[in-house]
Amino acid sequence: MGFLFESFVASLGLIASASPDIVDAVYTSLAVSIGATVFSSVLGVPLGLLVGLSEFPLKRLVITILNSLMAVPTVVVGLFVYGFISRQGPLGALGLLFTPTAIVIGGVLLAAPIAANFSLAAVRGADPRILPTALTLGASRARAIVRLVAEIRFGIAAAVIAGFGRVVSEVGVAMMLGGNIRGYTRTMTTAIALETSKGEFAFGMALGIVLLAVAFAVNVALSMLQRR
Amino acid sequence: MAYGQRTALDIPALELEEGCRVYLVGANGSGKSTLLSLLAFLHPPADGTLFFNGRPVEWSPSSLLRLRWEATLVHQSPYLFHETVFSNVAFGLAARGIEGSEQRRLVSKALETVGLEGFAHRKARALSGGEAQRVAMARALALRPRVLLLDEPFANVDRETAWVLRDVILVLAACGTTVVTATHDLIPPCEAGVRIVRLAEGRLCADTTSSRNGRAETADDRTGPDRRQGAGPGR
Repeated sequence: MGFLFESFVASLGLIASASPDIVDAVYTSLAVSIGATVFSSVLGVPLGLLVGLSEFPLKRLVITILNSLMAVPTVVVGLFVYGFISRQGPLGALGLLFTPTAIVIGGVLLAAPIAANFSLAAVRGADPRILPTALTLGASRARAIVRLVAEIRFGIAAAVIAGFGRVVSEVGVAMMLGGNIRGYTRTMTTAIALETSKGEFAFGMALGIVLLAVAFAVNVALSMLQRR
Repeated sequence: MAYGQRTALDIPALELEEGCRVYLVGANGSGKSTLLSLLAFLHPPADGTLFFNGRPVEWSPSSLLRLRWEATLVHQSPYLFHETVFSNVAFGLAARGIEGSEQRRLVSKALETVGLEGFAHRKARALSGGEAQRVAMARALALRPRVLLLDEPFANVDRETAWVLRDVILVLAACGTTVVTATHDLIPPCEAGVRIVRLAEGRLCADTTSSRNGRAETADDRTGPDRRQGAGPGR
C-alpha cells in the first residue's frame, strides 16, 4: 500500500508541476483525438442518418456490419492501416507511418462506426411525428430532414462524444501507427504503457489520472446530453 | 391504403367540395387518420387516385410541395419542435419564404386567434397539452390553408380549449376553408349543417348531413357543382 500511496502522491506532484513529458503526451492525445473525432463525425454521422432515413435492399445487413465494426479490436484496425501505410504498403510512399496523421487515420476508422451507429440509433429513436409534421407544414423533404436532425441534435452530439471517448482511450492504434515517439506521437495511453513497463509507475499514474479525468468529463457530457 | 398485409382504408370514392365542413366519424382503427394522411398528401394510396382541384395528384416531390401548401394536417397529439412557440408557428411560413415583419405579423395574429398572446417566446415543449394543441392550431392557421385537416382536435383538451378550437374552426369554415375533422365522438348538437362521413374498419359506411332537428340526409340528396377534392379507384 505504501508503494501505491507514494506513487499517487508523486503523480499528483508531476501533474501539479506540469511536467513537459506529461504536457506533451496530453497535448498529442487531445490533438489526434479531436482530429479523428472531427473526421469520423463528418463520415459517420451522415452515414448513420442516411441509413436511418432510407429504405433499401440489404439495409439490415448494412446495420449489422456497422454494429460489428464497433467491436473490431483496436490492434486489428492498427494492423489493417499499418498494412496500407507501411513502406511496403500501397500508401507507403506517403510516409505516414509513425506520424500523428497515421494515428488520426486509425482513430477515424475506430470512431466512424460509433458515430454512424449512434446517429442511426438517434434517427430510429426520433419521434415518428417529426417528419410528417414538418412535411404537412409545407417543408420540402430536405428541410424536413434538417428539422429532424435539429430535433435529435443531442443524440448526434452523443455520437460525436462517444467517438471521441473511443479514440482518446485506445492504445493499440496509437502504438502501432504512431510508434510512441517522445514529443511527437506519444499519447497518454502509449506513454502509460511504456513508462509503467520501465518502472516509472508514478509517471504512468499521473497520465492515468489525467486520462481518467478526460474520460470522466466526456462521459458526464454524454450522460447530460442523453438526459435532455 | 395498407400497412403491411392489413388494409387500413378501402373506399370506392369520396368527394369533398371546396369550403365544406366534414366530420369523419368512426371508432379507433376505422381509417380516419389514414384518410387524413391521404388528404394531406403525406402518403400515396396503394391503389386508386387522389384528385385535387379536379386534377389527379402527382406524387413527385415538387408537385407534393405545392399541394402540401394547400392542405395542413393537425395531428391528434401534435408534435411541437424543441424551439419557442414563435419558431413553431413560424416554421411553415419560413418554408414558404415568408420572413421578417410579415412573418411576425402572421404569427402574432395566429397566436391571438387561439388565445395565446404573450406565449411567443415560451419554450413549446414546456406547454400543457391544451396549450400545445392551440399552438398546433395556430401553426396551421398562420399558413391560411385552403384545406384544414384535424385529427381528434378535442380529444385531449380541456373544455375551454375545446371551445376556443371550435370557434376557430367555425370562423375558418365561414371564411371558405375546407375543414375536415376526424373524431370518434358524437357530433356536438350545435354542429348542424355539416357533412358526416362514417367509417368502419376502413370502409365507408354512411355519408350524411346533420340538420338542426336531428335529421340526416344522405349524400345523394345534396348537390354541389364545385367538388374539389376526392379519392377513388382509377378515376
